[in-house]
Amino acid sequence: MYRYDEFDHALVRERVEEFSDQVARRASGALTEDEFKPLRLMNGVYLQLHAYMLRVAIPYGVMSSRQMRRLGHIARTYDKGYGHFTTRCNIQYNWPALTDLPAILSDLADVEMHAIQTSGNCIRNTTTDVFAGAANDEIEDPRPWCEIIRQWSTIHPEFSFLPRKFKIAVIGAEKDRAAIRTHDVGLQIVKGDDGGTAFRVFVGGGQGRLPHIGQEIAPAVPAADLLAYLTAILRAWNLLGRRDNIHKARIKILVASLGIEAFREEVDKHYATLRHEDLRIPEDEAERIKAYFASPLFEALPKTSAPFDRALLADPDLARFARNNVRRHRQSGYASMVVSLKPVGGVPGDITADQMDAVADLAERYSFDELRAAYEQNLVLPHVKLDDVPTVWRALREAGLAMANADLATDVIACPGLDYCSLANARSIPVAQALSKRLADMDYQEKLGPVRINMSGCINACGHHHVGHIGVLGVDRKGEEYYQITVGGAPDEQAALGDIVGKSLPADEVAPAIQRTLDRYLQIRTDGERFIDTVRRVGPDPFRDAIYETLDATA
Amino acid sequence: MKIVTANRLSDGRVIYVGLDNEPVEHIDKASVLDDTAAEVVLAEVAGRPDVFVNPYLFEVQDHAPSGRDRLKERIRSAGPTVGHSVAGGVG
Repeated sequence: MYRYDEFDHALVRERVEEFSDQVARRASGALTEDEFKPLRLMNGVYLQLHAYMLRVAIPYGVMSSRQMRRLGHIARTYDKGYGHFTTRCNIQYNWPALTDLPAILSDLADVEMHAIQTSGNCIRNTTTDVFAGAANDEIEDPRPWCEIIRQWSTIHPEFSFLPRKFKIAVIGAEKDRAAIRTHDVGLQIVKGDDGGTAFRVFVGGGQGRLPHIGQEIAPAVPAADLLAYLTAILRAWNLLGRRDNIHKARIKILVASLGIEAFREEVDKHYATLRHEDLRIPEDEAERIKAYFASPLFEALPKTSAPFDRALLADPDLARFARNNVRRHRQSGYASMVVSLKPVGGVPGDITADQMDAVADLAERYSFDELRAAYEQNLVLPHVKLDDVPTVWRALREAGLAMANADLATDVIACPGLDYCSLANARSIPVAQALSKRLADMDYQEKLGPVRINMSGCINACGHHHVGHIGVLGVDRKGEEYYQITVGGAPDEQAALGDIVGKSLPADEVAPAIQRTLDRYLQIRTDGERFIDTVRRVGPDPFRDAIYETLDATA
Repeated sequence: MKIVTANRLSDGRVIYVGLDNEPVEHIDKASVLDDTAAEVVLAEVAGRPDVFVNPYLFEVQDHAPSGRDRLKERIRSAGPTVGHSVAGGVG
C-alpha cells in the first residue's frame, strides 16, 4: 500500500488546520453559510436533510486494517455507529456535528486519510478494479497509476475550479470491473507498440440527467505521457466546457457537442506541447510508486486446498458463499473474498462500527492487512489463503457479513435517496429493501445468476441506474414517489445505457415488477445465457410485457 | 398555513421556529403561521444565521406537512424511514 511521505503528511495536516479555522469562524457566526459552503465542499462536507454529511476519501478503494478501525472509531465516536460506502468507493457519515469535523479530520489524518476533493468541482477520488493486484486476468496492477493520478490531481491549481466535477477510473484488465466507460475519463492499461505500458483512453462518459457512454479518444498513450494526456483533456474541457448551465457543464456534453473527432483535435493540440514539458513521468518515479504496491509475500501453495475442499463438502452454506463471493486469485492457493454489504432487508452499503472492526481484524490476520471498497458498495478481502477461507467465512458470519449474494439480484446498488439526500426526488433504500426481501431465497437468486440492479432517487444517478441490467429511477409525481424502470444497461466492457420500458410505477409495484422481469428471463433464456445476454438477444419487449402485465395503476 | 424550518448551525439537525421565534426540534412544537406571519418570521430568523441555516417555509395542514414537498418534510421531521443500521440490524 502507498504510505504518505513528508509532503502528503504536511499537506493533509495543513488542510486540517485551515479547515478547523474555517469551521470555528462558521460556528462563531463570522462566516455566513454562503461564504462557508464553498469551503466545506472542498472538504467533503455537505448539509443534507437531517444533518451535515462528511464524505471521506478512500483512494482507489484501498485501506489497511488500521484505517478501517479508525473509520469505525469515527462512526462510534462522532456519528450514530455506522457509515455508508458509496459508489465512488468512499465512505459517508450521515450525522456528524459541524463542531466535531476538525476532530474527525484530525483523527483521519493520523491514519493517512482525509476528505479532500470528495466534493466540489474538482478531480474526485480515482477508482479502480476492486481486485487490482489480485485478479488473474490483469496485464498490470492499476493501483500505482491511480496513486500517480492522485498525487497529480490533489489540489492541482489549474483543476481546482473546473466547470463541474471530474471522475477518472483505471483498469488493468480487458474485463472492466470499474465501469470506466461511465467516467469522464476511463483508462485501460494496454501494451503499447513498443511493448511498454500504455493507456487506452475513453472520454466523455457519465450518467446523470444526460447519460453518455465514454468514447475512445486514444488507443495507446505511452505511460510516461499519461499526465500530459490527462492534462490536455482537462485543459481542453476547462477552456471550452460550458459554465452557464450546471446540467451541461460535464465533459460528456462537450464531447457530444463537438464530436469525438473534433474533441480529439483539441486535446492533441494541447498534448503536442504538454508531452514535451515537465509532465513526463520519470521511470524511476513510476518504479518508486510501484514499489509501494509490490505483491505481498505469498506462500508457494498448490492450486487447491484440501482443508478448503473438505469444508465446502461439509457445509452447504460455505459452499454457497464460495460459489458466489470467492474470486479466483492470480496466486495459486489464494482467493479474494467479497464481503457483501447487502444483507436481506438492509441498507445497501451500510456497515456498523463493530462490523468495521471485525473486517479490519480479518484483513490484518488473513489478507496481508489489506481491504478494498468496491463501487458496488461492498468490501473485498483481496488476498486470502484458500486454507483460511472457511475460518474467515465463519468470522464474517459471526459479524453478520457473510451474505452470499455478490453480483446476484439482491446485490443492489442504491444511492441514499430521499431518506438522506437533499437532492433526491424519491426514496431508493426502501425500494431496494423490498426487493431484497422479495428475492431473499438464495436458491432462486443462484438460479438467476448474475444480475446487476441499480436504484437512484433522482436523475443525478448516484445509484448508476442507467447502467444497471435493471435500473430503477425515483421520480416525483405531484408529491408522490414513482419509479421508472430501464432494462439492458451495463457498466462493463460492453457498457450500455438501459432502455426505459414505459410509464413509471408506484413504489409498491417495483419489486413485484422486477421479479416478473426475472421470471420472464428464466422462461426465455437459452443454456448458459446470463440475464444481460438474454436482454441483448431479445430486446426489452418481453420484459416490458412482464413488467406491465398485471398493472393497472400506473402514472 | 406554514411552518418555518431550517437546519441548526452547530450540528445540522432539523429545527423549526416555535414560540417566541425560538428553535424547537419537534414539528409538534413549531408555530403554525398564516402566509403573512410566516414571511415575517422567516425574515426574522434569516437574520440569526448563528442558529438557523438555510431557513425556508413549507405548507402544513393540521400541523402535518402538506403540499408538494410533504414527503420530504415528513422524512425531515421523523428521520430516515429506514431507521439506522446499528448493531443488531436495521432498527
